[in-house]
Order: sequence, then structure tokens, then C-alpha cells
Amino acid sequence: MSSALITAVLVVGMGVIVVRRRSVAVALVAAQSLLLGIGSLTLASERSDEFLVASIVLLTKAIVLPLLLLVLMHRTREPRLVAAAAPALVRLACAGAVALAGAALVPPLGLGDAQAEGSAVALVLVGIAVVGARRPAFFQLLGLLVAENGVSLLAVSVPGGLSYVIELGALLDLALVVTVAAAFTQRIHLELGTGDTELLRGLRD
Amino acid sequence: MTELAPILAWAVPGLPLAAAVALQATRTPSQADRLNLVTAVATATLALALSAIVLARGGSAPLRGDLYLLDGATGVFVGLIAVIGLCSALLSPAYLRTAGRAWFSAGRSRHWYYAALYGFWGVLLAVPIASNLGLAWLLIEATSATSALLIAFTGARHALEAGWKYLVLTTLGLSVSLLGIVVLAAGLSGEGHEGLGALDWHALEQSASGLPAQATLVAFVLILAGLATKIGWAPVHNWLPDAHSEAPAPISALLSGALLPTVALVAWRVKATLDSAVGGGTAGALFIAFGLVSLVVAIPFLWRSLPWKRLLAYSSLEHMGVIALGIGFGTPLAIAGVVIHVTAHGLAKALGFYAALPLLRSDPHAARQAPQDVLATSRPTAVAMGVSLMALGGLPPFPLFVSELLILLGGISAGETAVASVAALALALGFLGLLHALLEGVIGSPAHRHRTRHRSERPLSALTAAVGAGLLALTVAGLLLPSSAFVETLARGTL
Repeated sequence: MSSALITAVLVVGMGVIVVRRRSVAVALVAAQSLLLGIGSLTLASERSDEFLVASIVLLTKAIVLPLLLLVLMHRTREPRLVAAAAPALVRLACAGAVALAGAALVPPLGLGDAQAEGSAVALVLVGIAVVGARRPAFFQLLGLLVAENGVSLLAVSVPGGLSYVIELGALLDLALVVTVAAAFTQRIHLELGTGDTELLRGLRD
Repeated sequence: MTELAPILAWAVPGLPLAAAVALQATRTPSQADRLNLVTAVATATLALALSAIVLARGGSAPLRGDLYLLDGATGVFVGLIAVIGLCSALLSPAYLRTAGRAWFSAGRSRHWYYAALYGFWGVLLAVPIASNLGLAWLLIEATSATSALLIAFTGARHALEAGWKYLVLTTLGLSVSLLGIVVLAAGLSGEGHEGLGALDWHALEQSASGLPAQATLVAFVLILAGLATKIGWAPVHNWLPDAHSEAPAPISALLSGALLPTVALVAWRVKATLDSAVGGGTAGALFIAFGLVSLVVAIPFLWRSLPWKRLLAYSSLEHMGVIALGIGFGTPLAIAGVVIHVTAHGLAKALGFYAALPLLRSDPHAARQAPQDVLATSRPTAVAMGVSLMALGGLPPFPLFVSELLILLGGISAGETAVASVAALALALGFLGLLHALLEGVIGSPAHRHRTRHRSERPLSALTAAVGAGLLALTVAGLLLPSSAFVETLARGTL
């Protein structure tokens, strides 16, 4: 994958930790999946079976799952803005620091593409940071997708690619987890009147 | 009988998965209960048959197919998951009758419960059978979605909190694990091994020594750290006490007694296959670190007056730590201990969770506070809780005493005397904590006793007797196992 495409995938992922509107965050995750899909299709263009798998993954992650998330968004309207755990710039700075540290500390992974390796690790860490720094369940769900896209970035860069069974199985698992997480988000909203997970802190010892 | 094994390897997970779909078609709760009964017995029968066939082969070479691997560990784990799954399925109607509110509409809640239960059970049965690291990962990830729904089945605020935390943390953990698998696949690709077959346990073991050491170490650490979130090893165990305490009791039994050790089996297989590439005892040291931290983190909670199911959850953290130590030591003595420990912990812990059914029915406050004077109100419940606590505490003649002793001796024979000493001290403290819970919460004061016996508790008495007998049989097995060819094969890690 080209250096510009990898940078774009990382920057779009960082955007999810900053933006306020859920629709913009969904658009960012869809755009990130689209960029990854384009990169994957470019690499697989000479082999029809790999092209087919990459197309299925692209269709699901860039179109089907974002559509599901938009439906979820409309079903779980927030009565008021959920207060942020920290200001946007602080979140961005923390996520950036974690991503840079992760990318710098991980030794060469053997793919021969240092930028893809560092960016993939950084993106997984950004996904984890989104889950930790964003209070709404909806954004935490998007954090899972950003982390998964980090893994996809690395998988795309593996010479010869991953097995189709694993790629399609992981996609099926992702769709299952997103569907269940969406059901949870809706139920949490129904129970609490908001998707703010800060209110789900009753279990302590 | 060996020729039946490949068929059973497909039928054992296939039947409950088919039942998950079929149960949606039932029209009434009683129809769903009847189909549950038939399917549970059939699934357990097939799984126990497969387990018996594989275990009867002793230390022989594993049976291998394209997608299945049937070795001694498969036999032990499939048997354990079958028994706990059967008991959980048979006790589920009793839970559902008194469950009260549910996430789903009253008319469909039972169907969804059974669908998720059989989906979870089927996928869980497939994990020890899977011949491939990639497939095992896919199956473990699939258990997250199905079991999260079961954890939050009541739809209550605490249950949603526990289910959401479990889903998010374990999914993130498994993403880290997948990252490790991708790094490993890249290393294998560099050596000319590509496709699904490259991640086959046997192929991985054969090709491991040629892999680049540094990248393989990173892959191993990522895979293990990710799986640790699902196993519930400290410090990535935050979901465990919440999920175990909020899930319906039959599901808590499956989570603690079957899911955690089954994911630990996958971690064990990763160690067995990559040990030569990671080298120098590094893999074992990581397991020992997870084990010791889990033990040390769990002990203070075993001394506190916690609600019954939360106490059992922290006991799971302790016992997963013991299993990690045994795998980390890796000597035949320690591996014999791990086999007995996994099985005995599963049975004893499941009994403890099943005892929560009548306990919470008679005293709903026990969900949020430590039980008090249980013997005063129900002898069968108190006996079940007592047997569970004594077994989990490692009191002789229960098999966890034998298994913990074997693991500690295995540690000493591996030259890890300091680790074994710290672990022995932690286990002694854990025992005292559980003894305190037994004396204060279960036995209580003789002045308060005015016993009642309900018909609905008869199944629990029968179950307690059966589990007690099973545990004593495991004690005998624990004494015979260390010198067996079965354990020697497992300790060599040949897959």
C-alpha cells in the first residue's frame, strides 16, 4: 500500500477520537474502511479470488456496517450532548502520544514495510484509546472498528495475504460482534435514556 | 471405535449449533424446554463418546484431519465442556421459570436464551477440536458475541454493564491477539508457508524453529496478551467478576468452568508450538508471570465478604492463575496437575454456581451481599456450597489439593522453587479466605437453624452427590496420572 494511503488511514482513525457528531464519526470509520479496501483491491487486482475476498470485505466494512450504525444512531437519539471525559485536544494529544509510543516501541514485525507495521500498531492503540476516552457506547463501538481496521492494515501488508478462511471468518465475527454491540447500545439507551457508559459504573468491590 | 472420531468431531459442535436454530422454531415454552432436554442429552452423549474414544488412546499420536485435531487435551476439555454444558442446559428451565424480567419480550425470551446458550456451547465445544490457530481464534471470538447476550440476559442495568464490559474488553483483547496471528502469518509467509494450513498446530510446530526469533516473540506476546483478556488473567481481568456475578447461574458455570480453561488451552497450544522459536524459557516465564499476578490479585478478594457469585468469580481468577503456573512450569508433574486442576475446578465451580439458583431464589439480597447462615434455611444449598468451597479451597481429599501439589512440585522440579514457594503461600491464604466464607456465610450460627427442605432442591442434592463422587474419582486419577504415557505426551507438547 502506498505511503499516502497508510497515512490517510491513520489520520482518519485519529479523527474518531476528536469529533463530536456521531454521524461524522461513522463517516470517518466508513472512509477508513474504504481506504483500506481500495489498498487491498489494488494489491489483489491480478488475482481474481483475492480480489473477490477483498471486495466482500470492502462491501461489508465500508457500506453494510456503517449503514447498520446509521440505523442505530437514529434509534438512539441522545436527549442532550454527553459530556466528554476530556477536551478534544487532550484526547487527541493522549491518543497521539500512545500511538507514537506504540509504533516506536514495537520492533520490526518482519513484513518489510516499517510504515505499515508502525501505523497498524498505532491504529490498534488509537482504537483502544477511543474506547477508553469516549463515554458514549456508540463511540466505544466505533473504537472496536478502528482497532479492527488496524489489524486489517497489517493483514493487507502480509506478503501473499492471510488465508481467505481467516479473512472471511474474521469479517463474519466482526459483523456478529458489531450486531450484538449495536443491540447492547440500543438496550443501554432504552434502560438509561442515554448511551453514556459513565452511568454503567455500579459494579465495584 | 477410532473410525467414529472424525464423524464425532463434526457432529459434536454441529448438533448444538443446529439446535440453536431449531429452538427458534418452537412455539411454546414447554416445547422449547423439551427440545432443550433432548438436545442437551444428545450433545453431551456424543461429546462424551468422542472424549472417551480420544482418552482411550492414551499417549498415542493425535488423530488429525484438515480442520480437527484430537489429542489427549481435546479428550479432557470436550468431556469437561460436555458435562458442564449438560448440567447448565438441564438447570436452565429452573432458572427461566423464576428469572423475572428479561432483555427480550416475555414471549420470545426463552427462545433467545436457548439459541444463545446452544450457540455458545457449540462454538465452545469446537475450540479444543480445532486443528488450527486461526480457526481457534475465530471460534473464541464467536463465543464473545453469544455469551455477552447471555450475561446481559436480564436486561437490568448491572447485567448490561457486565455484558458490555465483557464484550468490549474481550473483543479488544482478541484484536490484539489477531494482530499477533497476522505477525506470525507474515513470518511463516517469509519461510514459504502460506494459507490456512500454515497456522495448523502441527505445521506450526514443525516450522517454528525456522521462524525469525524477534518477530515470533512479538507475535507470541501479542497472542498471549490478547488471550489473557479472555482467560481472565490479571491484570486484564476486569470483566471477569462482573460477568460471572451478573450472568444467569447456569451461564456463569459455563463461563468459569468451561470457557476460561478452554481459552487457556489455546494459549497452551500456542506455547507448545512456538516454544522452540521464542526460546530460552521465555514463553514459560510469561505464563508464570500471568499466573503469579493472578494469584496475588485474587487473594485479597477471597478474604472479603462478597456476594456468593462474586466470591466464586475471584476464585476463578485464582485458579486460572494456578493453571497458568502449571503450563508455565511445563514439567510432566505440573502438566498432570493442570489436567486434574482444569477438570476438578470446572466441576467444583459449576456446582457452586448451580447452588446460587436456590440461594438467590430464597434470598434475592444474596445477589448484592455475602450470604449468611445458609445452613439455617436450606441444607441442600448449604451442602452444595460447602462441597464447592472445600474443593475450590484445595482441602484434602478433594482433587484440587492433589493438582495444586503436583503443580507446585512440578515448579520445584523445573527449578522454580521461589515461584512455587510464593504460589504455595498465596494458595494457603486463598484457602483460609474460602474457609472463612464457609464458616461465616454457609454454616453460620447454630442458634439460627430452622431447616426447611423444598422439593425444588432435590435435583441440587443429586447433583452435589454426583459432583462429589466425580471429584473423588479425580483425586484417584490425580494420583495415577503423573507417571502415565498420556501426561508424558501432553508435556512433550506434540500436536
